[in-house]
Amino acid sequence: MNSLSLITSCLTLGSTDPHPNVTPSVLYGLGWLYLILFAMNAVWTWKSYHRGRHFRLPEFLGGMDMPNAAAWSMYSIALLLVSVTHLTCASVPEALRWFVMPDFAKAAIDFVVADARRYFAVTTFGFIGMLLLRNWLAKPNVGWVLLNLALLFLCVSLTDWDFRQIVGKPDNVPIVAMLFIVGFFTWLFFYRANENDRRAAQGQGPVEAENNEKVLTWPDLVYTEMICMIAVTALLILWGIALQAPLEEPASAVKTPNPSKAPWYFLGLQEMLVYFDPWLAGVVFPSVIIGGMMAIPYIDFNKLGNGYYTFNQRKFAITAFMFGFLPLWIGMITLGTFLRGPNWNIFGIYEYWDVHKLEALNNVSLSEYFWYGIGQPLPMAPAGANFWTQAPYILLREFVGFVAIGIYLGVLPMVMAMTVFKKFFLRMGFLRYMVFSNLVLMMAALPITMVLRWAANLKYFIKIPEWFFNV
Amino acid sequence: MSEPKLSTADILAKIRAAKPSASSDAPAAPAPPAPVVESSAPEPSAVEAAPAPPKPKAAPAAKPGSTSDILAAIRAQGAKGGAAEAPAESAAPKAAAAPKAAPAAKPGSTSDILAAIRAGKGSAAAPTVTAEAPAAKAAVKPVAAATSGVAKPSVEDMLKAVRGGGAIAAVAIATPAVPVKPVLPPMPMRPSAAKDKKSTGTDRRSFVAACLSPLAIGFGSMAATSLLWLLDLARFMFPNVLVEPPTKFKIGPASDYPLGNVSTKWLAARGVWIVHTDQYKGRNLIYAIASVCTHLGCTPNWLEGEQKYKCPCHGSGFYINGINFEGPAPRPLERVGIKLASDGQLEVDKSVKFQEEMGQWEDTNSFVDGALA
Repeated sequence: MNSLSLITSCLTLGSTDPHPNVTPSVLYGLGWLYLILFAMNAVWTWKSYHRGRHFRLPEFLGGMDMPNAAAWSMYSIALLLVSVTHLTCASVPEALRWFVMPDFAKAAIDFVVADARRYFAVTTFGFIGMLLLRNWLAKPNVGWVLLNLALLFLCVSLTDWDFRQIVGKPDNVPIVAMLFIVGFFTWLFFYRANENDRRAAQGQGPVEAENNEKVLTWPDLVYTEMICMIAVTALLILWGIALQAPLEEPASAVKTPNPSKAPWYFLGLQEMLVYFDPWLAGVVFPSVIIGGMMAIPYIDFNKLGNGYYTFNQRKFAITAFMFGFLPLWIGMITLGTFLRGPNWNIFGIYEYWDVHKLEALNNVSLSEYFWYGIGQPLPMAPAGANFWTQAPYILLREFVGFVAIGIYLGVLPMVMAMTVFKKFFLRMGFLRYMVFSNLVLMMAALPITMVLRWAANLKYFIKIPEWFFNV
Repeated sequence: MSEPKLSTADILAKIRAAKPSASSDAPAAPAPPAPVVESSAPEPSAVEAAPAPPKPKAAPAAKPGSTSDILAAIRAQGAKGGAAEAPAESAAPKAAAAPKAAPAAKPGSTSDILAAIRAGKGSAAAPTVTAEAPAAKAAVKPVAAATSGVAKPSVEDMLKAVRGGGAIAAVAIATPAVPVKPVLPPMPMRPSAAKDKKSTGTDRRSFVAACLSPLAIGFGSMAATSLLWLLDLARFMFPNVLVEPPTKFKIGPASDYPLGNVSTKWLAARGVWIVHTDQYKGRNLIYAIASVCTHLGCTPNWLEGEQKYKCPCHGSGFYINGINFEGPAPRPLERVGIKLASDGQLEVDKSVKFQEEMGQWEDTNSFVDGALA
């Protein structure tokens, strides 16, 4: 097909856009997605009908009692109609313009996510909100509404070409699945924990203490494992058939793909590498993460919550772990997967991956802030000086950073022991408390450094490239 | 037993049902599992017999098996001891004969039972002649009798005596002068490995023997194989043919590289940019920059429009002169050696590196004068 006929065919389709947002095949596929959504909600309606809960209509609608199932059934029927419309009118995109993400919404979402500061603020405050609203969020109906909203968001967003490129990439499909799986298990945790916390408040034991009937390894466990094994194998086979592994050009030592992404499970580390010296982010922090997790049983003095779900009895432990896992680990994986584009710039989810996008990323180290701030040049050894002459100059140049790190890891734990962590300090003793507080501070160092990088372009607290020592 | 075969659950239920009655009769039964052990006997009829309340007369006198049997035998013995004094076979006279033994007719707790045994023995020996009481004990434990006549027998001794059977005890009582040794099972044979080593004249633990042991041979061969692998690895480091391009290569005359230009001509083959710029300390220089990001070694891209090198892995950015200014790279890109060859061409030497932060960019081998172009 020559270019002229290509243009003609584009014209007959009514579009010359090489990156069309909606195509008949996309709309047709969305029709099936809506149909699945309808089926899910039909089952939910049925369950709701059997549960027989009611809700009260607002006054302007009559103020009478309605079964929940009525609302769900209306929603399900709406989904069915949307699905049928998509499946039958896929060739007439104009007819379906109400089911695409509006441009102002795209712009608003990109405005938030395409900026690391806003993205981080949204994830962190979302995390805090989740903890505060946990009793409400863990209701089955609320959880179901959230799932529906997420899926509807996915449906309408898939009408965007750039969004499809990111989300539909075979590499990224498991990460989309991971987001839903993480969401589900977080919800499940709060659901179970709320139940036990409510029972504990009434002086009852946890649910798990009542349902502690023992089952046999054979056949109960082994059969379950075998069925899981078969299901996972079938899933992997289907997956391998449906989504092709992305093959690229032959590897070359002097050509790096742009962007070049780590395996998805390391994208959190790759994101960390943007903010820390490679030695710290690639070696020290991963070791601290692993070692710190191994140290948890020795640090933890709270004997509650053993063998059952609870939140109220282990507030600090669960909050600390969840903060490290959700906004930092999962949040960074999401950032790395969906938002990092060419040249490792941050792009919105509806934004075109422009190789020439410019982002101002100037770096200033703490020593430069200090010495230029007091109007002095950086202390510099005379040219050609040997190591012993250079060393005092370098240490003088970077002393602010050393003091800052010393205060952060040495003095701050003491201050915290006297204030916020007083109880912890008394329970743990000095050594355990120091290990604990340093682990907590190192975890906090990641968001602190990220925020300082974004807000003040601060690169390193201590910057000694001469000795390959940067913190 | 009407049922021919019982399940474990049934048996347990029966035992539980039988327990209260058993405990009412012998509340001090020290080992409740004992009936369970009995119930696992192959004969189903034994199930009910075992948990049944052990009556003194029902207990087998010859060789009791379980703890409850033993206790029953104890009681029977107490009765017999009483019989030696008074023919009436009731527990009450026995208790009366041994006022120290038990306050009640029936023994209540284990200590009561043990006390009854002691009292029973005493009375069995000769209630009228108390001096003969140690003799009765001597029948149980001759050594103890020899050393200390007043020493009380231990629980083990008592149980041994009971296992020996009431008959033996009765005989011993009848003839207290003859000590009866308890019949012990024969000692098991010691395995040959545990036998005392006797010097046979030849020392088998010699060095040669140790070297020939299977363990030593196994570890020795493993060590030898590892050593061979190590040597192979060392040899691998010196290949016969090196398929790398030579580190020194000519890149043409300086006039090929005009001022303000970054040449990517040698990037794909050699991994260097040839840079002609006056952006570093205002000097007009031509130099070669290695295309390895100083962060983690990816290959950055030269972006002509932005006039910067930009790394696709973590977003490090470098000015045209190679100085890092954005992203995580901790130091500037590295220069490699460059010089003017005798034939007027520029020659790049990748075997040497010049790092800016070490002050090595002042080295004259790291650049050539830009005026040559």
